Amino acid sequence: MSSLKELQDLIHEKYGIEPSKLDPHASMRETGGLDSLALAEFLFAIEDHFGITMPDDDASIDTLAELAQLVDKVRAAKTA
Amino acid sequence: MSTHEVAVTGLGVMAPHGDAPDALFDALLQGRSAIAPVFPELPKPAAAATVAFDETRWFTKLQLAGVDRVSQLAVAAADLALRDAGLTLSDAGVDAERVGVYAGCGMGGAAALEAAYRGNGRVSPLTIPAFMPNAPAAHVAMRNGVLGPVLTYSVACASSSVAIAEAAKAVQRGEVDIAIAGGSEALIVPGVVLAWQAMQTLAGFQPGEAAGAVRPFATDRSGFALGEGSAFLVLESAERVRARGARRYATLAGWGLSSDATHLTKPDAPGQARALRAALRQAGLQPRDVGYCNAHGTATRIGDVVERNALAEVWGADFDALRVSSTKALHGHMLGAAGAIEALITVLALHRRELPPNANCHEVDPDCRMNLVAPGDSAAPGLEAAISNSFAFGGTNSVLLFRRG
Repeated sequence: MSSLKELQDLIHEKYGIEPSKLDPHASMRETGGLDSLALAEFLFAIEDHFGITMPDDDASIDTLAELAQLVDKVRAAKTA
Repeated sequence: MSTHEVAVTGLGVMAPHGDAPDALFDALLQGRSAIAPVFPELPKPAAAATVAFDETRWFTKLQLAGVDRVSQLAVAAADLALRDAGLTLSDAGVDAERVGVYAGCGMGGAAALEAAYRGNGRVSPLTIPAFMPNAPAAHVAMRNGVLGPVLTYSVACASSSVAIAEAAKAVQRGEVDIAIAGGSEALIVPGVVLAWQAMQTLAGFQPGEAAGAVRPFATDRSGFALGEGSAFLVLESAERVRARGARRYATLAGWGLSSDATHLTKPDAPGQARALRAALRQAGLQPRDVGYCNAHGTATRIGDVVERNALAEVWGADFDALRVSSTKALHGHMLGAAGAIEALITVLALHRRELPPNANCHEVDPDCRMNLVAPGDSAAPGLEAAISNSFAFGGTNSVLLFRRG
């Protein structure tokens, strides 16, 4: 299970950023233009979208791929 | 200390009557009300003047993260004001450290706070930066790269009038070269409307008659309607305006600030008269020199009489020559943005030598008798100076006095 596609769709719907414009392995801050406030809001939207609670220690996450991995982990833990 | 004459060079508005100052003024001349019913789900009928705002003209979706409507409206109106003044702050010839933002805001991001209350425990992490009352000024500064003083004045209904007075002071003293001065308010959300209804200051109306609900100085007045929007003026020293060959709408020649120090919400004629006299004194004008007053005129039972009495006291024998109207009948009470939009209307009245009517006043209250501007009687060929009154809950009174040229 990978949440990457859904995250790409969510980021497109919420911020108008096309999946092709944001390399999953590039920095969301530097390449995507998501500053710390936008990222905080995006994490909130992810929680709403997947019905999950993201851990608080996610400050190190910088790329969409890393974020997808974390979301996968949280979702897996929830269904386990 | 050498002082500078303060010129108004740009006007920007995002208001219930649209985003073009002249079209707004034309709508007022025609007596077109922007007040309409809102929130039919509320127990008591409510009306307000709202803005048809397309935020995508100024923001990408990403830029909107954590930006409340109150800040969006401010960014738009300030941008329009700078464009109108022919100014881009990144241009050579502009020292961004000598540009300031002076913004009035009564409540801040009401929609952000309301969403937090109504989120069933899910509260956006950006509620605080969206809600804070200085967010509009900060967003205007970030959008334009303003590096000088960026200040917010929260003085209830006088907020943006005070902001403009403070901006004028800074330009006059040479503390800044350019001031972006005005205000923003966006609190048409159910919770805030309920709170204002509970205060018993909003106009009642029959179904289908919301547009004419606000009747300043009329026998049958019953209060105001809330409005939302933003307005900004660009202020510069007269020397700078001449040097760059810019258009000058008017001169901000005087401003008067006073406090009632009597009651939190009840207005006080002596306090208002002190602000009126201070503005005249600073401008070096006599009452007879001022031909128009854009009144605070909230159409409350007490407020209108007190304002009339304050004007009558200061104008004395010349009171009949002062023409008065409250445009709140048409654009609603924009609270923290009221002083700014009414200053803008006053500047246009001077510039065009036309006066907006005191609408919806079919029978003047004998206690409010004065030279009210009748609909259709807008010509003011000899108009040389005009004032805009803003009197706040909390007892702060602010009067701005503009001169032609």
